[in-house]
Amino acid sequence: MTVHGMLKAAVIATIGFAGVARAEETVVWWDFLGGGDGVRMKKLIEDFNAAHAGAIKIDATTLEWGTPFYAKVQTSAAVGEAPDVMTYHASRIPLAVEQGVLQELTAEDFAAMGLGQADFAPATWDAVTIEGKQYAVPLDTHPIVLYYNKDLLSAAGMLDDNGLPKGMDSREGFTATLQALKDNGVTFPLGSVTADGNFMFRTIYSLVGQQGGELMTDGEFLAGDNGDKLANALGVLADWTKAGLQSTYTDYPATVALFTSGEAAMMINGVWEVPTMTDLNAQGKLFNWGAVELPVIFDMPSTYADSHAFALPLNQGKDMTPEKRAAVLEVIGWIEKNSLLWATAGHIPAYGPVTDSAEYKAMEPNATYSSLTANMIFDPKTPLAGVAGPIFDVMSTYFVPTLNGEMDPAEAVTAIKEELNAL
Amino acid sequence: MLTNRRKDAWIAAVLVAPFLAIYLLVFVWPTVQMFGISFTDAPLIGDGDFVGVDNYARLDSDPRFKTAAWNTAYFVLLTVVPGTCVALLIALGVSRLKGRLQAAILALFFLPYILPVSVVYLIWDWVLNFQFGISMHVLDWLGIDRVPITKSREWFMPAMAVVTIWWTAGFSILLFLAGLRSIPPEIYEAAALDNAGRWTTFRRITWPLLWPITSLVFTIQLISQLKIFDQVYLFSQGGRPNDNMVLVYYVFQRAFQQNQGGRAAAVAVTLFVLVVVVSVLQFQLLRLSGNRK
Repeated sequence: MTVHGMLKAAVIATIGFAGVARAEETVVWWDFLGGGDGVRMKKLIEDFNAAHAGAIKIDATTLEWGTPFYAKVQTSAAVGEAPDVMTYHASRIPLAVEQGVLQELTAEDFAAMGLGQADFAPATWDAVTIEGKQYAVPLDTHPIVLYYNKDLLSAAGMLDDNGLPKGMDSREGFTATLQALKDNGVTFPLGSVTADGNFMFRTIYSLVGQQGGELMTDGEFLAGDNGDKLANALGVLADWTKAGLQSTYTDYPATVALFTSGEAAMMINGVWEVPTMTDLNAQGKLFNWGAVELPVIFDMPSTYADSHAFALPLNQGKDMTPEKRAAVLEVIGWIEKNSLLWATAGHIPAYGPVTDSAEYKAMEPNATYSSLTANMIFDPKTPLAGVAGPIFDVMSTYFVPTLNGEMDPAEAVTAIKEELNAL
Repeated sequence: MLTNRRKDAWIAAVLVAPFLAIYLLVFVWPTVQMFGISFTDAPLIGDGDFVGVDNYARLDSDPRFKTAAWNTAYFVLLTVVPGTCVALLIALGVSRLKGRLQAAILALFFLPYILPVSVVYLIWDWVLNFQFGISMHVLDWLGIDRVPITKSREWFMPAMAVVTIWWTAGFSILLFLAGLRSIPPEIYEAAALDNAGRWTTFRRITWPLLWPITSLVFTIQLISQLKIFDQVYLFSQGGRPNDNMVLVYYVFQRAFQQNQGGRAAAVAVTLFVLVVVVSVLQFQLLRLSGNRK
């Protein structure tokens, strides 16, 4: 064979392969799921690819959570280089809509996915809705819960007959539980992410919600007595610090380490740490543990939640072919219907039929804390809200000194109010 | 020798053209655009309406901008002169060593410089972390209360200064060493014959002859420290970002977190002008004081 002939053969072969590959629709996927939940998502993607071999293939990339992810989405959508589908926090959707980086999802799209409004809890559906239009499909809700070390609580006599912590119904009751643990020799009765005000926003916002407070009323931050409610919430936590009942200046990884090493008896953290505990426990490296809905410190139960959702980026200057769009919708629909595996990552699946299933109801500790779905509150709908957003930064700056006893709660609230309304 | 001037100019133009084209495209053009955007209410991506000098006028009453400007100035104060002095001292020490030992010690001091900032952050977090940091165990052992170094307003900037000097001193040391080596040994021999002491030798010979390098190191440091961002951003994650704000961080926050390209550009232009003015002033000042000697 001459060189020319070989070249010709190579070209033909390349074109041939490309032709075969074209029959299979590749869906480019970005997510920010780097933790224990990411492992479960990779399994779901593998299962999807196996079930759709030759038809649809997901090409997934995991990127850095938070601002880096959202900055990349925004810049890539502007030049038509964003993926076909991506995960998105419901709390970030108002900003995304303002930036014009998301495609609207129509009723036909939902029909194509085999999903409908009735499949989701009203609060969750509302979280992806801006001015009556849907911009994402909620995959889950991921609230915060109270993790507890059954061995330590039992030793201090703080477990009830059902194996749940005592004193979950009032501020005095819960403080007494913490005090009893302290008296029983526990270094930190409550492991709190006190060095990370961003994270503590979830706990504090929940406590504001427990007083029926709102962060934003008609575009104004902390209107009326909502400022006082925030000060009350901060006061509870500041008092626990003063009494030596919670860890100080502790960042996120350190908090988890304090809990898993038994130095902290309880911890308020996201449900996404459930797999960490489950896996450690399975390896015989963790005590007996449980997770429950947050204690009711004020008037009513309330828990902050956000939602992971699927969204389609609006790629500038690049139209999605109908075939590609159909493939993307198939991906979302399939993952939603198979999100029982996602529940093992701790998250509460947003798709109703999954949480109604007998398998889900037998799943622990998920079944214990899933009662909180009725008491969830989401971020206010403003482009300033959302994980790693400006509200978080303002709050964080004042939460850290307040939670560690450097600043008075009332003083912090005045400053927060001023800064939030100046954003 | 006879040269064809026109031909020379043509060759020069061809040789310079690739650089010039790239420079104009990726530096000058975006800078011009940045000036333009700073007078509009543009989001991060896309165009906005002309708003005059509104974005600049607002800076005056903007508490975050003030914090950022103050912190940046404080950081420059904490790093530029101390950083230059530390590098000079280490360079003087290293220059007295010989052969392999000198290479080995120099490598030790230079090593931090090649680390990416994320690694620098991790190393120092292991040292300074309030719950698990090594330094906290030292404090426990000494019976001193633990200090939340990266979470308190008082300690944050000094800690960043130490980290930054540790990280970047290597490069300044190299410059100083090169400077020290270029001083002819005969001068030192002559001084030794005249019974000059160590201090006199340093003050009368090393310091003046090293002056061009010192002012160069100074200027490089000043410009790069005015642009401080990475360390502050990494160490502030989840902490007290608005207390630790520096100018570049503020640009980032306005642009990427708040989607306000116009206001971000106004801050960026302010920083740009500040860097130009300060470095020109400083270089002139150093040149003048150098001439006087």
